[in-house]
Amino acid sequence: MTARRDSGTQSGAKAAGARADGAERRLSLDLHESLRNIQAEVGYSPDIKVREIRLGPAPGIQAAAVHLSGLTDAQLLNEFVMGALLQNAEELTDNPVDELPKLLLGRALEVGEAAIAEDWNETLIAVLSGDTAILLDGCTVAIICGTRGGEWRSVSEPTSQLVVRGPKDGFVESIATNISLVRRRLRSPKLRLESMKIGTETQTTVVLMYVKGFASDDLVGEVRKRLEKVAIDEVLESGFIEELIQDKTITPFPTIYNTERPDVVVGNLLEGRVAILVDGTPFVLILPAVFTQFFQSAEDYSQRFDIAILMRVVRYLSFIVLILGPSVYIALTTYHYEMLPTTLLINLLAQRENVPFPAFVEAMLMEIAFEFLREAGVRMPRVIGQTVSVVGALILGSAVVEAGIITPIMVIVVALTGIASFAIPAYNMAIAGRLIRFAFLLLAGMFGFYGITLGLIVMIAHMNSLRSFGIPYLSPFVPLSVRGQKDTLLRLPMWMMNPGKSPQQMRAELPKSMQITTGHEAVLSPAIKKNEEMDRKREGGNSNEPE
Amino acid sequence: MNRNRRGIPVRRSLLLFSALLALMPLLTGCWDSVELNRRAIVSGVAIDRGETEADKYVLSFQVIVSEEISGEKARGIAPVALYTGRGRTMFEALANASRQTARFLSLGHVRVLVISEKFAREGIRDIMDVLERESDTRLTSLMFISKGQPAKDLMSTMTVFSKIPANDLVEKLETTSKQFGYNYRMEVDEVIRGIQIRGGGPTINGVQTTGDKENAGSNDNLKTIAPKAILRVTGLAAFKDDKLKGWLEGETALGTALLQNQVKEFPSLVEDREGGYIAFNVYQSTVKIAAKAKDPEHPLIIVNISQQAALKEGPSTLDYSDPEVIEGLSDRLTAETKNMIQLAVQEARRLGSDYIGFGEALRRENPRGWNRVKDHWEELFKTCEVKINADAVIRHTDMRGNSFQVNK
Repeated sequence: MTARRDSGTQSGAKAAGARADGAERRLSLDLHESLRNIQAEVGYSPDIKVREIRLGPAPGIQAAAVHLSGLTDAQLLNEFVMGALLQNAEELTDNPVDELPKLLLGRALEVGEAAIAEDWNETLIAVLSGDTAILLDGCTVAIICGTRGGEWRSVSEPTSQLVVRGPKDGFVESIATNISLVRRRLRSPKLRLESMKIGTETQTTVVLMYVKGFASDDLVGEVRKRLEKVAIDEVLESGFIEELIQDKTITPFPTIYNTERPDVVVGNLLEGRVAILVDGTPFVLILPAVFTQFFQSAEDYSQRFDIAILMRVVRYLSFIVLILGPSVYIALTTYHYEMLPTTLLINLLAQRENVPFPAFVEAMLMEIAFEFLREAGVRMPRVIGQTVSVVGALILGSAVVEAGIITPIMVIVVALTGIASFAIPAYNMAIAGRLIRFAFLLLAGMFGFYGITLGLIVMIAHMNSLRSFGIPYLSPFVPLSVRGQKDTLLRLPMWMMNPGKSPQQMRAELPKSMQITTGHEAVLSPAIKKNEEMDRKREGGNSNEPE
Repeated sequence: MNRNRRGIPVRRSLLLFSALLALMPLLTGCWDSVELNRRAIVSGVAIDRGETEADKYVLSFQVIVSEEISGEKARGIAPVALYTGRGRTMFEALANASRQTARFLSLGHVRVLVISEKFAREGIRDIMDVLERESDTRLTSLMFISKGQPAKDLMSTMTVFSKIPANDLVEKLETTSKQFGYNYRMEVDEVIRGIQIRGGGPTINGVQTTGDKENAGSNDNLKTIAPKAILRVTGLAAFKDDKLKGWLEGETALGTALLQNQVKEFPSLVEDREGGYIAFNVYQSTVKIAAKAKDPEHPLIIVNISQQAALKEGPSTLDYSDPEVIEGLSDRLTAETKNMIQLAVQEARRLGSDYIGFGEALRRENPRGWNRVKDHWEELFKTCEVKINADAVIRHTDMRGNSFQVNK
């Protein structure tokens, strides 16, 4: 595992080296030249601190500690790096300078994390990440001390995925904290982490996390490969990665799940999925993700199963209302008036009597107004939130009706779709629904139920074409798997969900032809397997590649 | 790259062309979309026979004025408006009526169809064909025959309980079919099936207005506590094929409805020996019509009827706690039922129409024999032997056993 990690770091360093001057560079023998080079590389930035010291009895060996203020843990630096260095180095300076770094590392430094870096870029990135580099005159290597620290937001309740019952801690921006949150819940030695740096400029740490023996090796290999292929300047959020590694980009449906909740990550890891943690964001990616996963909530498993089933059914219903609500209303009133009960029809007729716009325009106006309101509600400063909601409620609720621009029933329909969109636990699925809703509105306005039906056919066909890392998006419905139904639309009691069996065991029990349908975790698509094989062949060709 | 004369790459022009092609279906959209405020919803249609062939069909449409019914801006005008169109065919009459209406006459919500007696006597075959063919009308609309007056009158009578007279009529029919007996829901498709029965025909509910017909269509009609004109459901119109043959009323109608198994509840009276009547509510009655027809020329029709009843009125000193008394009453109730059925059969024979379904029973029993006799079934129907097995059970005497008069 450590080998993996090293290779990951190396590949990141290579990328940075390519940017700098196209060749691998080493530190200069002359300390001051090295320091100048570092200063020049970061543009004499004021937050880079160089502390020059002399080790051993006078005149001593010239040395320097380089770090970035603000990113380092000052106490750690002062006590265990600088203090230890000055105190313990005295008896070591008699040795040749070439051996000094190893001796210092072994006998002088008191920090828990330290290593020797030979490469120029590695040193530079370590400093930029908050580590301290100790440079010695006459030495071309640097000692990197792990002194990362500084200020982060503390662990608090997740803001996007709330539960009534369940753990209340959420991920933060620090990847180390996030890893610890997962580790604390999953004390298994099978948990594997692979770290890599992505982003030629941001050099963001990205950690691939899975449970050995649960996640299929093919899947992990594929994720690793896709991550290594990512070439991008900046990674500020996991969304950057998500967009670059997902299977198909032209779709409103999310094919990678994201969460702020460590318990969700652990649950998914144990179901054989892979998590990707990105430094600097509390949102962790989980893949592969199928359609039904976006309708599950962490709370489903803390409530009784019958109640969980009710909640799930409500969520699916709300998705249907969200995408079809206004369009069904349009279709009913402009094309299929005979399908309404007579009394309701008379009511609608009376309401529509003096409304100037066709129902379609009316619906569009209201839906767009509602989107305004929602967007304003999300972005505006908290302080003026009240004002916006009051004005919005008044405008949408009564003023438009009293002014005779919009019928009251339209307000009901729009309000219902609005509320339905909030009932979907995954925000990215809810916004997908919001987008699709407009397409259906257009179809209903032009063709009535005929259009809606055509739209549904196209939508389902499109969803069938989607894959999330080789898993059919609509599984376990298409292709149908009876076993997979245990935790999709329904949530069966725990004792019925194969307790004590790992997903791989369950997969192995299935006949070969059905293996792709075991639920969320299954065999990969043929194309990916083929790629894997080709890679394996290539790797076999030059096996002396550094591990 | 291939380029055409104007320098646009062929592939791009193809793309452009296919994009335009893909947009074409959108141009055809909306052709049948009608906003709700462009529609005139028709709640009921009356079909009258005009004087001449040139205006054979006189169609009156009862159109809902929705604002008057549920809008805030009601003007105090009538809740429905009546438009009449004439023509040689139904379709022509509909088109003719549209000249008077500002909006599209929409037939999707027609709940009531009234055909005048005059037209019914002439034959309703063609009308039914149109109703079945037209995509807008529904086969679940209720059919009525206006008894002795133009159907149009019935569409223009103000009613108390529902602002829409057609709805009022529907509700009246439903109430009476649940409580009192022989009228029952008769929908368009049932009429069409009835017409197709060999030797028989449908029975359709009659409807008429009573009272001051002059002012029936004005709000004045409702200003007095006792409405001046009342729309009411009356007897059953008995048809032979598609032609009205006669009206069934009272016990004859009840017997007919019993034979068609369409009665939910009805009051049945038995004469008391000391004078007066004892009343029962028959709350369940099941009729099975069977046939014995080894020789189809001489079939025996067996009517099995079983009923359950409750004593509702027993204003006498009879001892209802005595099983023998109850049994005696049951027997007389049975006799009463038998009488009704006999009356119904007699009347059907008199009208020469097998609307009570004896032919169907024969066909079920002996399909080959039926094929031999179906062409002259009318004559056989008049003479065939009928056996009635009735059985009525009095289940309870409601809230009391004996009347308090007994212990006096």
